Amino acid sequence: MSYLHAPRLIFTGDFLSDVSTVNNDPAHYNNNTFQPNFQEPGQGATNGWWNPEGGAVFDFQNCSVKQLFLPDGTTQASPSDDIIIGQAVVGAEGRPTGKMVDLDPDAQTYSALWCVQIRICTANGDLLFKGDIATTSFRDLQPRQLAGAKRNGQPLGATWTSVITNITWGEAAEKSAFLRTLRATTQGNMLAINMNPFGYYYNHNDGRFSLGRIIGSIGPYFEGEPLTFSPSRRLYGIYQAPNAQRTYFSISNFLVEQDQKRVSVDFGASMPVSDPLGTVTYNQDLRLAVSKVPQAGFISEYTQAYYILPEDMVEIGAMNYQSDPNWLNQTGGIVSFSDLPDETMDTLRSNQLLLVAPSDSVPGHFVIIAREAIDGLVARADNFVLRLDCGEALKVDFYAYRWGVPLPNETISISLQPPTPDTPLSASNPISVVYGNNFPADGLAFQGQITTDGQGKAQMPLTGNAIHSPRVYIDGQIYSINYQTATVDPAFGPENLVVHLRDYFQALPNPVWDDISEIMTQYSNLYPIMSKYVANLADPYALIEKKHIMLFAFSRDINDTMHMPVTRDLSDAKRNTILNWLNNPQITGSPTVQKGLSQLAATNPAVPGTAPTKKQAEYIEAVKQKNGSFPGFRDVLNLFENL
Amino acid sequence: MLQIDSKYVEKALTANALEELYPLLQNAVELEHSTIPPYLTAMFSLKPGTNPVQRQIIHSIVIEEMLHMTIAANILNALGGTPSIDHADFVPEYPGPLPMGIGKGLIVGLEKYSTDVVKNVFMEIEEPENPLVFKSLTLAAMPTFSTIGQFYQAIQKKIDELAPDELPGDKSKQVTSSFFPADELFPIYTKQNAIDAINIIIEQGEGTSTSPLDQEDELAHYYRFEELYKGKRLVKNPDAPNGYSFSGPDIPFTPDNVFPLFPNTKTSMLPAGSEELNRMNEFNTSYYSLLAGLHVTFNGQPGNLDNTVGVMYDLKLTAQKLCGTAFPGKSGYTIGPSFEFIVPAGS
Repeated sequence: MSYLHAPRLIFTGDFLSDVSTVNNDPAHYNNNTFQPNFQEPGQGATNGWWNPEGGAVFDFQNCSVKQLFLPDGTTQASPSDDIIIGQAVVGAEGRPTGKMVDLDPDAQTYSALWCVQIRICTANGDLLFKGDIATTSFRDLQPRQLAGAKRNGQPLGATWTSVITNITWGEAAEKSAFLRTLRATTQGNMLAINMNPFGYYYNHNDGRFSLGRIIGSIGPYFEGEPLTFSPSRRLYGIYQAPNAQRTYFSISNFLVEQDQKRVSVDFGASMPVSDPLGTVTYNQDLRLAVSKVPQAGFISEYTQAYYILPEDMVEIGAMNYQSDPNWLNQTGGIVSFSDLPDETMDTLRSNQLLLVAPSDSVPGHFVIIAREAIDGLVARADNFVLRLDCGEALKVDFYAYRWGVPLPNETISISLQPPTPDTPLSASNPISVVYGNNFPADGLAFQGQITTDGQGKAQMPLTGNAIHSPRVYIDGQIYSINYQTATVDPAFGPENLVVHLRDYFQALPNPVWDDISEIMTQYSNLYPIMSKYVANLADPYALIEKKHIMLFAFSRDINDTMHMPVTRDLSDAKRNTILNWLNNPQITGSPTVQKGLSQLAATNPAVPGTAPTKKQAEYIEAVKQKNGSFPGFRDVLNLFENL
Repeated sequence: MLQIDSKYVEKALTANALEELYPLLQNAVELEHSTIPPYLTAMFSLKPGTNPVQRQIIHSIVIEEMLHMTIAANILNALGGTPSIDHADFVPEYPGPLPMGIGKGLIVGLEKYSTDVVKNVFMEIEEPENPLVFKSLTLAAMPTFSTIGQFYQAIQKKIDELAPDELPGDKSKQVTSSFFPADELFPIYTKQNAIDAINIIIEQGEGTSTSPLDQEDELAHYYRFEELYKGKRLVKNPDAPNGYSFSGPDIPFTPDNVFPLFPNTKTSMLPAGSEELNRMNEFNTSYYSLLAGLHVTFNGQPGNLDNTVGVMYDLKLTAQKLCGTAFPGKSGYTIGPSFEFIVPAGS
């Protein structure tokens, strides 16, 4: 993925995300304990969080092309330079908007875009190009906001990386030199796209409820590269100001182009912002450099800052962001240094890039704000968010790079995370027992170790076995599978795959209502927008009345934006049973006993109260922030305090 | 159906070539569309889960207006014309007159549901050429104005006169849909197809000259609205003149379960920078997307109709949320969907 390659364009604006939130609480999936007030807005266990009537709409709003970066290293930002500059970046027209949905209530940090179209036209409405953004999920969640997070509610930002497919080039595209070059450079009639959402409003403030800011870049795609992350080198934050509680500049991609003697670093996903709109008001001296000595520092309770002497690094240059508070929105946060000296480029071949700042507390030194991955090693899974029916097999693609070059013969170890415990009823969990994840372990079969081939690529087969309601009232199970190379960089940690394995269910050719009533009642509970405004999904007569549209929606392909369920969390067997019922609705009659129900559901091997792993604890905190219920986030008054 | 400016009927009757029917069929497409926003606004104002019969009746009529719009566009395509849907003139200004000078200046607005609106606007729009009068009423004098029914009949007559048996349009542009029965929405390849299709429009709207029922034995629009106005189902009654009377079950109506939409809400009435304005923009963006999608559908991509169905749901959901949203600065009112033709940036 080459969104950092030239030519690339930067767009900035807002995104609308009308995600639904009753399903943010796993206990709300229990039909037996569901209460109508769970569909009302409100925090805490007994309410439906901040947008219970959400419809999962995702769309671009107020987005426009801000600037272009050309192969010769120059930047264009004036509409007189190219007709695409200043044009609106919009979503679909004549078909429904895209959708944004979670994988599961137990996997809420992988919010995915589905069926999002992106279009750019001239001011007259003549098409320049349009295409479909392939489904992609959040990666690299990181703290973004220094101040004002209480106004919007969500202090984190994330990244969506993907490819644009099904591209249509308008006739007017010929009038844009930029697009001509892009079209000639890209491969496979696809484009690479990276989008960094942040500053999202849960709160009804500033007229921006359900809006967030988004910074995007579009560049050429090169065949054979991953689809959901950039095959670039990466910087990880290793500095934490005493008043900050968190590490900023956590994750940044960068590209080294030896032929152009160029380094392009993308701070679009990591640059701390002073407000939800992406304004940057601090003016810290920040510089890029290459370390001559290996750096392995990471934030721990013992060390929050690492220092380097000027003689131990080759300085590249300063980030010139201070002159314009709107710098991030204008540039996308990507800084490029071209025509670098040979010494710098040579050093970069096998040494770590750094983001540094002159130290106040250790005179003559620099603080390392962020450093490149240890040994320049980046190994990631491409299709890392997986929906799997039992009996289904698929392959997970892995890619490994060292110093930005594909890394053959690298071993990647893959292991299931330990089971998480059930949460019994208590004052803090008042609705229902919430069942744990990652069990039964034999629900998934996969290879525990794989080795990359000559192109630095490896595939891991993954098969779903039959499981029988380990979470009792939530279909299937969530499995988090860690993967790592021999050495794990503690500044980033191991990454994971996340799998929603659906329950075993035998599709029924002639179902009666009670074969599907529990499923439909759950959707009715969780998605009041449907039951309130379209049809009460829990009422068979209402479904019969709306049979045509229900058949229409439940039979759409998963890559059709109108697919039901919008959450895309139903196994084919269950969905086909619903379709069979709609085609021949039988209201009375005894349900078929599913084979699985006669078997014992797996017991959770984790004892209640088992402490989460570090990664599991991070997930729990991220979900709290997502739901706007994290009370501890306070403004960071000075990110660069006591450098 | 409503009375229209007779010049449109005359234009149809004096046409000497099929091409002269194109603008008239375009007018028909516009007219069929123009009734939908007022009907939908009334329907969306019904609070969710309440007043089910009102919702069901209006919904059934809106669906048929969509069918009529589709038929009119299919006929226009079949004759070799080009439906045009994605432009500002396609959308009436509400409140205002409907296309073709209809109703001698009947002003149609976008208002919440009320029996007054049903009687004074909707029944006026759908008034048959010769309304059948049930029970206590006496027959009105024969109308001296042209009606939309007569307009369609005139087009039908001219197609019969002027068109070859096999119509000249590109057959691949004909739009059909699984959402409509094949005997109501069918491709128009021949003169006879066109004649049959026009009969469906006339009869669904008007009923036949002797019965309130149409060919499918459903009540024509006028009589369905009249049921709502009278609060009674129209049922067969052998003792009544014309064989029907409003002696069926009551149709209950709870005015409290209607959102108090500010009449003819406009985008410009909402405060700049407000969440409510964003929602309204979202609604009108969906509306534009729908019209643009329909334009494409009727101009060579009939398969896109399914996508427009999805946009209709986006539009409906946004509209219904608006209807339940308090109107900033207008105490006691909520926000109506404005159905304004606003080309979004980037289109």
